[in-house]
Amino acid sequence: MLKLRNISKTYGRAQVKAVDNVNLDIRPGEIFGFLGPNGAGKTTTIKMIVGLLKPDEGVITIDGVNVWEEPLKAKSMISYVPDNPEIYDRLKGIEYLNFIADMYGVSKDDRRKKLDYYLELFNIKDAVGDIIASYSHGMKQKLVLTSALLNDPKLFILDEPMVGLDPKSAFNLKEIMRKMCDEGRIVFFSTHVLEVAERLCDRIAIINKGKIIAMGTMEELRSHAEERESLEKIFLELTE
Amino acid sequence: MMRKIWSLIKTDFNTTFGLSSIGYSIKNKKNRWQLILFGIAMLTLIPSYVFMVGSLSSMYDIYAQIGQKSMFLLSGFLSAQILVFIFGLLYVMSKYYFSNDLAQLVPLPIKPSYIIGSKFATLMISEYLTSLPIILPFIIIYGSKNGEGPLYWIYSLFLILFLPVAPLVLASIVVMFFMKYTNIGARKDLIRTISAVFFIILMIYVQMKIQTLAQKSIVQGSDFLVSLIKDSNLLVKRLGVSFPPAQWAALTLANNLSISGATNLIIFIGVAIISFLLMIFLSEYLFFDGLIGNIEVSATKGRGKKIDTSELSRETKPYLALAKKELIMLFKTPIYLINAIGGVIMFPIILVMTNSMGGDESLSAIIEVMGVESGYITLGCIGFVTALGMINCVGCTTFSREGKCFWIQRTLPIRVEDQIIGRVLSSLGVQGLGIIALLVSSIFIVKLDIVSIVLIIILGLLGSIPMTQIGMIIDILRPMLDWDNPQKAMKQNLNVLISLGAGTLYLGGLVLLVINIIDKFYISFIYGLLALIFILSALVLFKVLKILISKQFQLLE
Repeated sequence: MLKLRNISKTYGRAQVKAVDNVNLDIRPGEIFGFLGPNGAGKTTTIKMIVGLLKPDEGVITIDGVNVWEEPLKAKSMISYVPDNPEIYDRLKGIEYLNFIADMYGVSKDDRRKKLDYYLELFNIKDAVGDIIASYSHGMKQKLVLTSALLNDPKLFILDEPMVGLDPKSAFNLKEIMRKMCDEGRIVFFSTHVLEVAERLCDRIAIINKGKIIAMGTMEELRSHAEERESLEKIFLELTE
Repeated sequence: MMRKIWSLIKTDFNTTFGLSSIGYSIKNKKNRWQLILFGIAMLTLIPSYVFMVGSLSSMYDIYAQIGQKSMFLLSGFLSAQILVFIFGLLYVMSKYYFSNDLAQLVPLPIKPSYIIGSKFATLMISEYLTSLPIILPFIIIYGSKNGEGPLYWIYSLFLILFLPVAPLVLASIVVMFFMKYTNIGARKDLIRTISAVFFIILMIYVQMKIQTLAQKSIVQGSDFLVSLIKDSNLLVKRLGVSFPPAQWAALTLANNLSISGATNLIIFIGVAIISFLLMIFLSEYLFFDGLIGNIEVSATKGRGKKIDTSELSRETKPYLALAKKELIMLFKTPIYLINAIGGVIMFPIILVMTNSMGGDESLSAIIEVMGVESGYITLGCIGFVTALGMINCVGCTTFSREGKCFWIQRTLPIRVEDQIIGRVLSSLGVQGLGIIALLVSSIFIVKLDIVSIVLIIILGLLGSIPMTQIGMIIDILRPMLDWDNPQKAMKQNLNVLISLGAGTLYLGGLVLLVINIIDKFYISFIYGLLALIFILSALVLFKVLKILISKQFQLLE
C-alpha cells in the first residue's frame, strides 16, 4: 500500500507550491495513472516518492515504511524509471544491469532468469555488449526498464514511460504492468497519453497546479464531468 | 554577425558558470548550513597560500641580492603561463570536443570559428582563476618592495589581462591539430589519452631542457659575473627564451619607466592578439575535422561478439560493484582518465625527470647524504603517495562526476557504508597505478629495498584513505552535478582546489610532526605512528562522511 499524506512542496522564494497538500492511497494490485498538464506537479510528486526530493510537509509510506525515515528499506521495495533516462553512458549495457542488480542484491539465478527474459522481450539482448553511449533514446529507455524490473519491486514508478518506446515495446510494457498488478504489486505512472491511461489504469488522479482535482476509476471520473465521454474531454474540462 | 558572436558568448558564459542556476539557488534559502561548512573548508586554503606568498618574498630577496630582480618577475609570469598552458590543454580538449552543447551548436548555421571564439572567451575567465592567484603575489611583492610608481601598476593591469591569451592559444592550436590527426579508429579515446599524457610529459621535459641549457650557457661564460653586474636583466633575457611572452612581460615591468617597457608591453599584447586571430583562422580548417566522428560511438549493433551468459549472472558485493563502476567510468571517459590517472602517473615521472635530467641533481645529492637506510627516502615516498591521494582528484570529484546520473545513486537502496567504501576503493585503485609509476621511476635515482617498497605501498595506501575521504567530504557538501562537459566535474571544480588546500593542511601537519620527532624515536616507531594516525583519521572521517552523505542524499534537489 502506497500512502501519501498531506504532501506539499514549495520551490524557491516565490513560494509557488509545486505540490499542494496531496493525499493518495494506492492499493496493491492497482495500476494508478497520474495525469496533468505540463508543470502540474507530476514529476515533483514522483520524485518525492522515490527519495529524490524531500517534501516540505507530509508523510509517504510504502507498506507502512516511511520513505524518508527508513530510506534503505523503502528503496529496496521501489523501482523507478525517470522520464529522461540519464544513465552512465560509458558503461556497457550489461555492466549497468549488473551494477543495478548488485545494488538491489539480486541473486545469481534470479538475475540470469530475469535478464534472459526481459532482454529478449525488449529485443536488446544483442546490444547489451555495447557501451550505452551508442544506444538510441528508446534503447536506453528499455535498458532502464529492464534494470527496474530486476528486483521484483512492490512499487513500480514510471514517469512518462511510453515516450520513446516503439509500438511493440510499448505493448510489452503494458503487458508487464498488467502482470505486475496481477501479482499484487503497485504500478504508478504519469503520462500525457490519455488513451493509455484510459485503457490501462484501474484508477486515475488528475493533478493541476499542484492539487489533485479529480481521482477515481474512469466511471467515477465520468460521473463528475459534464460531458461524459472520453478522458480527453474530462481532462480538458478539469484542467482549464 | 556580431550579434551571433555576442549571443554565443553570453549563452556559453551562462551555462559554463551556471549564472541562472546560481540565481536560482540564492533565492532558495535552504541548505544554508552546507554553505557555512563549505566556507570553513575554503578557509583551509589560506594557510597554504600565506606560506607560498611568504616563500616568494624571500625568493625576491635572493634575486635582489644578485642584482637580478627582474628574474623574480620572469619566474612569476613563466609559472603562471605554463600552468595556464597545461590546464589549457585539458580545458580546451574538454570544452571544444567533449562538451554536451556541441550537439546543439554544430547543426546551427554558424562558422566553426564563432564556436571556438566563444568557447575561448569563457575559457579565458576560467584561466584567470588559475593565473591570478599565481601572478598577483609576484607583481605585488615586486611592486611594493621596489616602490614602483603608477605606470608599473597600469602596465601590470594590461599584462594580467592578456596573460592567459598566448598560452591558451597555443593549447588550442595544439589540441586542434592533435584531435584532427588522432581522429582514427575505434580506440581513439585511448590513443588520444595516452598520447596526451606523453605530450604533457614531453612538454615539461623540453621546458626543463631549455632552462638547464640556458643556465649552463650563462654560468659557463667566463665573464658571467661581469655581465651579471652590467645587465640587471641578464637572467631574464637568457632564461626567458623558453617562453618569450613571459620574458616580454617581465621586461615590461622591470623597465616600466623607459621606452623599452612600453615596447615590450606592445609586443606582449600584439603577439597575444595576432596569435588569437591565427587560432581563429586555423579553427576554420581544423575544428570540425577533429570533432565530427568524435561524437560518433562505435557500436556493434549485435554484430559484435555476443555477451557471455556468465556475464548475465555475475554477482558482486555492492561496494565492489560501486568501485568497479567508478573505475570503469574513470578509465573510459577520456577527460577523467587524463586528469586522474594521467595525474598520478605524470607526477612521479616529472619528479624524477626534474632531478635526473634537469641538471638540478639536488634530490640525488640529498639521497646520497642521507642514505637509503635512514628511512627518510621511504618516508618521503609515503608522503608523496599520500599527496597523490589528493592530487588524483578521485575523492573530491566522486559525487560531482555522477552529474545528471546522480538520481541512480539516490534511488537505489545502497548503504552509506557501501557508498564510502566503494568510492574509497576506486581511489585506491588509481593510487595503485601511481605507486607503480613512482616505484618504477624511482629506480633511476635510488635503490629501494623490499622492506621500503612494502612500507611505501601499505602506508601510502593507508594515507590515501583519509586524503580521499577529505575530498569526499568537500564534494558531498556541494557536489557540482549540473555540468555539460566532464572537465567541469574535475579540475574546473572549486571542490578540487579546496580539497587540495585541506589535504595540504593534513599532510603538512604530519610532515611537521615527523620532522620534529624523527631524531627522538626509532624509525619503525614513526612508521607505526603514521599507520595509527592514518587509520584513526580514516575512521573519524568515515563517521563524518556517513552523517554528511545520509543528510545530503536527502537534501539535494
